[in-house]
Amino acid sequence: MNVRDKIAWCTVILLLCALVGQRLMRVDSSGTFPNRSVLLICPYSAGGGSDMLARGLARAAEPDLGQTITVNNVTGGGGAVGFVAGLLAPPDGHTVTMITIELVSLPLQGLVPFQPDEFAPILRLNMDPAALAVRADCPANTFEEFMEWSKRDSKLSVGNSGPGTVWHMAAARLAEAASLEFNHVPFGGASHAVTALVGGHIDAVTVSPGELRSQILAGQVKILGVMSEDRVSYSPDSPTFTELGYPLIFGTWRGLAVPRETPAEVRAKLAEVFSKAAYSTELAEFADAAGLNMALASGSDFALQIKNEKAQIASIMKKLGLIYEK
Amino acid sequence: MEIFNEVLVNGSSIQVWVALLAGVMAGMIFGALPGLSATMGVALLIPFTFDLSIMPALALLIGVYCAAVYGGSIPAILFRTPGTPASAATIFDGAVLAARGEAGKALSVAALSALVGGVIGTLLLIALTPQISRFALRFGPPEYFALATFGLSMIVAISESSVRKGLIVAVFGLLISTVGMDPLTGYPRFIYGQASLMEGMPFIPALIGLFAIAEVLSMGGLKSGNTASSESKIARFPSGSDVRRSTPTILKSSFLGTFVGATPGAGSDIAAFLAYSIARQQAGKGDKFGEGEVKGVAAPEAAKTAGTAGAMIPLLALGLPGDSVTAVLIGAFILHGVQPGPLLFQDHSGLAYSIFATVLFAHILVFIVAVSGVRILLRVNQIDRRFLQSGILILSLVGAFALRNNLADVWLALAFGVLGYALRRGGYPVAPLLLALILGPLAEENLRRALILSGGDYAIFIQRPITVVLLLAGIAALFYGLIRRRGAPA
Repeated sequence: MNVRDKIAWCTVILLLCALVGQRLMRVDSSGTFPNRSVLLICPYSAGGGSDMLARGLARAAEPDLGQTITVNNVTGGGGAVGFVAGLLAPPDGHTVTMITIELVSLPLQGLVPFQPDEFAPILRLNMDPAALAVRADCPANTFEEFMEWSKRDSKLSVGNSGPGTVWHMAAARLAEAASLEFNHVPFGGASHAVTALVGGHIDAVTVSPGELRSQILAGQVKILGVMSEDRVSYSPDSPTFTELGYPLIFGTWRGLAVPRETPAEVRAKLAEVFSKAAYSTELAEFADAAGLNMALASGSDFALQIKNEKAQIASIMKKLGLIYEK
Repeated sequence: MEIFNEVLVNGSSIQVWVALLAGVMAGMIFGALPGLSATMGVALLIPFTFDLSIMPALALLIGVYCAAVYGGSIPAILFRTPGTPASAATIFDGAVLAARGEAGKALSVAALSALVGGVIGTLLLIALTPQISRFALRFGPPEYFALATFGLSMIVAISESSVRKGLIVAVFGLLISTVGMDPLTGYPRFIYGQASLMEGMPFIPALIGLFAIAEVLSMGGLKSGNTASSESKIARFPSGSDVRRSTPTILKSSFLGTFVGATPGAGSDIAAFLAYSIARQQAGKGDKFGEGEVKGVAAPEAAKTAGTAGAMIPLLALGLPGDSVTAVLIGAFILHGVQPGPLLFQDHSGLAYSIFATVLFAHILVFIVAVSGVRILLRVNQIDRRFLQSGILILSLVGAFALRNNLADVWLALAFGVLGYALRRGGYPVAPLLLALILGPLAEENLRRALILSGGDYAIFIQRPITVVLLLAGIAALFYGLIRRRGAPA
């Protein structure tokens, strides 16, 4: 081995060490917040609803924050990897994490090293209800007829976006509330379930109206009921389940959070800046185009909601056999 | 006539062409860098389109998509490092050609096949979108299982010298593909407490390890010197006979790619691997697959670009994404006020045909940029191998990290590097491993999903015509492969 070979090897080894070492480094933070750019962790991949919301919000909030906001997609583990990264970051407000309902459901499965209350929510941004949808040519036109069909036809196949996902739980909640029995068919994401519905391979889906919008507008599928307080704007004839006599309010939500140890004044500043951005017309137009149903709520209300939903979600997951006891 | 006018007006706007060219250039770079996928390229460029009007915006994104899928093959051929999953199938013969000093030929064949694949795919898109989308919708869980089984039956064909070794590797690949959350019950399997493995074995770090890192580990990787010494012998363009020999393969792969791409559950990567395997299965007497066969470059290249056109079919006709890139594209279309789906053709047929034209010209631009870039790309051969390889190693590791911003993926890539090196030393082929990794999850998930639908009754696999045809084709391919091997001991 000559000298140049040795230099080449040393460089490779040094760079590898640097790669490992960068994780151990923590940036020293002092002075008033924000004194450098803010990182917004999105635990889901680029291009999805969470990502679009994060990027739209970052764009709208940058001028007021006075610092750049970088969206970083830290994905994996159904969101767990991103949540862990958000919790491991220094609690100085320079790392904000987008949280979703999976923050509650993942710890219940007992497979991730965190609990939802390790995050301090600062703002709820959006909520998407679950909607029960069937093909447009389906003989059932109302939820009543759907129930009859369901009872007559043994078990209907209801597609969802994956085991333990919010839409799986939505179907289970519906089945429980209306005493129906479903054959739950998990797909790798809501769009795959909708495709299978349009292709006639399954009987119904429980996903968000946004994920059904193009099919509704094209007259391919129809919504029989929505698990929200209000009807869906682009399917005004579809009733809510509350109207139908089943007071079901269920769906996914997205919001922002920082680690619990973050100082209160930093949290207040973040809440102020991001609320202003979230209430801007710029973001409202963006969310409308992207099919995101904005539903803003303060950090304290949001924290209360997360706390209340935990027990509810735990009981559904238990019924679905998704909680593993050690 | 009115539609034609609208297409013409859109096409004569300089903005559209600039956006398309910019998209193609950006896409090539995204595709060529391992860890930056076509999906990420499109997603990251969406914010840049906010201030553009609709056609330039769509042209930019379509340009990125089409070019990124081709761009992945550049490092696959030059450095044995696939830039995108779909380009992994190009390595088997493309990298051998490059090692022989025929990188220019491999790159040109790739570009030419990609052009033909893209054009055929787009023409099918224009002419048969309603028919193909109806056919694609008939693909439910049993059909996807049958498609995956058909693909897996090709293991014999791609096992190189020993079927036994090929099978060992393939079964190992199937086992690895079961790592992660159970797709139907959500129970985590073989993850040993690692949240990073919950979504399954990440494919790109595995590719980076099996090829790029294994290459560096094998002693040849860090030898000094460069491959440009025989500059005079480098064939920059394929010979006429190469083109003639590959034409049937290119045509077949283009049709296959379009159909596979059009099914909403399978994308370009599956199309590329199927096309490569089928080409190998049907190898003629003079074909030397695995030893630098141009058909081995042509087949996956044609299929994967045709696959991109195919994936546009369910996107435009049904408003349903065919793969992860088109899922992002749908979001972008909606942001720009275009709602893909049956209504697009009814209410905005001019726009729909403008999109078709954009796809067509995107493929042509990709070809022009690719061919004119060959000369520049070949310069990398003049760099000392040691510096080149360490550069690739660093880029690969960064790529493994960049995909999910997850350090665990870097360790996985390194582990796969050791595995790839061991396989190479032991004479085990890598192709069956990749085929199993790509098709394993598709097969498992859909087998079990189909059984949920049928209530556990296996008859569902013989009651549906497409399923039966695909399963029989798989069995036939298996026996054909075995019989051929017996006839010609190698």
